[in-house]
Amino acid sequence: MKTQDKRAIDDVQPLTTVDKVIHEPARLNIMAYLYVIESADFLFMMRQTGLTFGNLSAHMSKLEAVGYIKVVKEFVGRKPHTMLVLTEKGKQAFDEYRKQMKQFFNEI
Amino acid sequence: MTEKMNLKEIEKKAYRFTFQDGIYDIMFGVLLVSFALAPILREVIGLGYILFLVIPAPLILTLGKRYITVPRIGIVKFGLNRQVAHKKLVIISVILVIITLILLMMTITKTFPGTLGTMLDGYAVPLIIGISTIIGMGVFAYIKDFPHLWIYGLIIGLSIPVAEVLYKTIGTPLNGIIAFGVPGIVILIYGSLILFRFLHKYPLPKEEMSNENSG
Repeated sequence: MKTQDKRAIDDVQPLTTVDKVIHEPARLNIMAYLYVIESADFLFMMRQTGLTFGNLSAHMSKLEAVGYIKVVKEFVGRKPHTMLVLTEKGKQAFDEYRKQMKQFFNEI
Repeated sequence: MTEKMNLKEIEKKAYRFTFQDGIYDIMFGVLLVSFALAPILREVIGLGYILFLVIPAPLILTLGKRYITVPRIGIVKFGLNRQVAHKKLVIISVILVIITLILLMMTITKTFPGTLGTMLDGYAVPLIIGISTIIGMGVFAYIKDFPHLWIYGLIIGLSIPVAEVLYKTIGTPLNGIIAFGVPGIVILIYGSLILFRFLHKYPLPKEEMSNENSG
């Protein structure tokens, strides 16, 4: 194998190990928002990400299934609200993802 | 560094998103109009007019956010930095309101200490109130990270000495109506336009959304 080809493969390899759950654009957007805020309800996330209700629901389910976000029911005033929170596992996964992507872009 | 900057921008965008309802603008417009009507209200209902200065604005903010904004854009809780800043803001706001009310009462009753009331041909106290309002609102704007507040602080701060200048030429209540009422109505109209645009852009969500949010 030529040195150039081997080097190209080494550059690509970090991307094959990147977290595919986060790597999807809509979910990356969701994770980024939840990373910088404490919590938000469904409607706020819908407005911020521009996703439809069904689309956001589907992505949230995937993130919840891997334990990156959790759904917390709390009262705001006297009305119950469903709040979405990034878990500790989700924060670590997002940090790791950012580190990998930064490394990847620094190396190319 | 780039990642940090981008995440900061995302947080800032999310934060400023909560201000695009025009509620704060309407609140300040109403506050200025209340100041404009204060001399007339004082004649009609006596000292009770102070209630009309302090109640409408916070009421508009609270009710507006609860019944107009939140049902349309949802709820968000920001991180510790914003929460600490918000608490500081509440304390500073209470102090500013108390100081401003004391200074205003002293202006109305002409009970200034020493020669303060006569300095600069009697303009010293309104100037002090005006400058402290500008500074206070500037601090408020900085902590709240809401750019409009700088301008509104300047308008309110300048209106006070302008009202005093006009008082000597056209008397009361016209001085207040012009100094506070005109900018107040302009801000009210501007805030209403923003609110109208907000209502159009973010209609109430469909029932499935409401049910999801209510849990």
